[in-house]
Amino acid sequence: MDQLIQDKLSKEEIFETLHQFITEVIGEEFVEEMDITPASSFTKDLEMDSIEIVAFSEKVKNHFGSNIDFTGWLSNMDLDEIIQLKLENIINYIQECQ
Amino acid sequence: MARFLFVVPPFFGHISPTLSVGASLIANGHEVAWTGLIPLADKHIPEGGRYILPEAELSPHQEEIARILKRQDDGPSLSGPEVMKLALEETYIPFAHIMVPGVLRVADEFQPDVIVNDCITFAGALAAHLKGIPCVTTTPVPPDVMGDTASSAPKIFEWQQNLIKGLQRELGIYTEEFVIHSHEMNIVFTSKEFAGFPEPDPHMKFVGPVKGRPNDTPFDWERLEKATTPKVFVSLGTLLVDIRKEFFLKLIEAFGNEPITIVAATDPSVIDEWPENFIVQGFVPQADIIPKMDAVICHGGFNTVNDTFMNGLPMLITPIAYDHFHTAALIENAGCGIKVRYKRLRVPDVKNAMRELLENPQYRNAAQHIRDTFNAAGGNAKAVSLLEDFAIANRVTETA
Repeated sequence: MDQLIQDKLSKEEIFETLHQFITEVIGEEFVEEMDITPASSFTKDLEMDSIEIVAFSEKVKNHFGSNIDFTGWLSNMDLDEIIQLKLENIINYIQECQ
Repeated sequence: MARFLFVVPPFFGHISPTLSVGASLIANGHEVAWTGLIPLADKHIPEGGRYILPEAELSPHQEEIARILKRQDDGPSLSGPEVMKLALEETYIPFAHIMVPGVLRVADEFQPDVIVNDCITFAGALAAHLKGIPCVTTTPVPPDVMGDTASSAPKIFEWQQNLIKGLQRELGIYTEEFVIHSHEMNIVFTSKEFAGFPEPDPHMKFVGPVKGRPNDTPFDWERLEKATTPKVFVSLGTLLVDIRKEFFLKLIEAFGNEPITIVAATDPSVIDEWPENFIVQGFVPQADIIPKMDAVICHGGFNTVNDTFMNGLPMLITPIAYDHFHTAALIENAGCGIKVRYKRLRVPDVKNAMRELLENPQYRNAAQHIRDTFNAAGGNAKAVSLLEDFAIANRVTETA
């Protein structure tokens, strides 16, 4: 049980890691102008284009494990779900997959 | 002699190639009319042609039309998925609803042998289907912007399908087949090589860009001729007014008083003081200027993209919204330019990209290859002969 709890990353830890990945993908100078929080919308606030999303999802996969199929998860969404997608949805998804 | 009715949207980039092709059809003795959603200035309409605005059918929708047109200004600030919704659900589908009754009446009066609908102006093909009139579609942009959503994003594919089926059912069209475009002939104004369609369906006819209508706007040619440094043309097209200042401030930071000559097509008043090496003018004879340039910077509007590669020049493309990203990807695939996304525009990246474009011959070579594919596709003359052949092949045999 203890082991299991230790293995699971907290939401905060996942957020910090994702924040780092976002910075690497879109560049520090642009991230500085954004106030990134778990409530940030992926497409609207972070303004990620498809190339950036692919780069981000590669980093997520390499770091959190190959069972996290981020692009596959995205591809099953409808337009409104993608438009409304927030960082916290991704954090929850990663937590569920762990 | 045949009668052609072009059905066009309220966006000049989509209307423009039909004006060139229509003018040539008129010159060959055909009767040509256009119909649309908003008035079109007389000066644009080729001599001998006419533009028929079905005012009676459109007048109850004026507020909605104005609202949808205004909404287009939001495009640059919207995300990719929001732009998809804006385009299909909030623009093309309602425009089709609004236009169909007027197009049907115009078709009754003008009795076209062929209806030619622009690719985002579904009303033309829908009216043709309802009336049993042969139909050709014109596509001014590289097609397939949405990609293969059926396998990559099934829910987005379903959304698309449902919207189009819904539109057709409301018009009493219950076929499973989509009739918003012609299945007989789709004339695409780029080359299959550039659009990434090595083996297109037989009804897709890639004819390359057609020459624009004559533009005799005055320009300070003398000043341009005196310039001894590499010359770069910059255009953001006619839309995107809001972001002009920010964009040009960055270009001034990158190229102000550097050994380069920038010809900027923009209203000079957006910047208080332009550097010496910037030649700035609001409306320019673009098709005459670009042949004198060494490179082009633009956001991906297809008029400028076509003019650039028709002249075999490399491009720095700064995609903002809409189909710009698709165009940018095609340019990078073809090797004829470099993409720097507008939202991630760093001054050093712009400078490096421009140096690379001017100094590394591979970009110009690739651009010249695209030029060759454009020329080989046949252009205006090919589009005209395709339409003439189509009219003859589909002529309803009159029995005496």
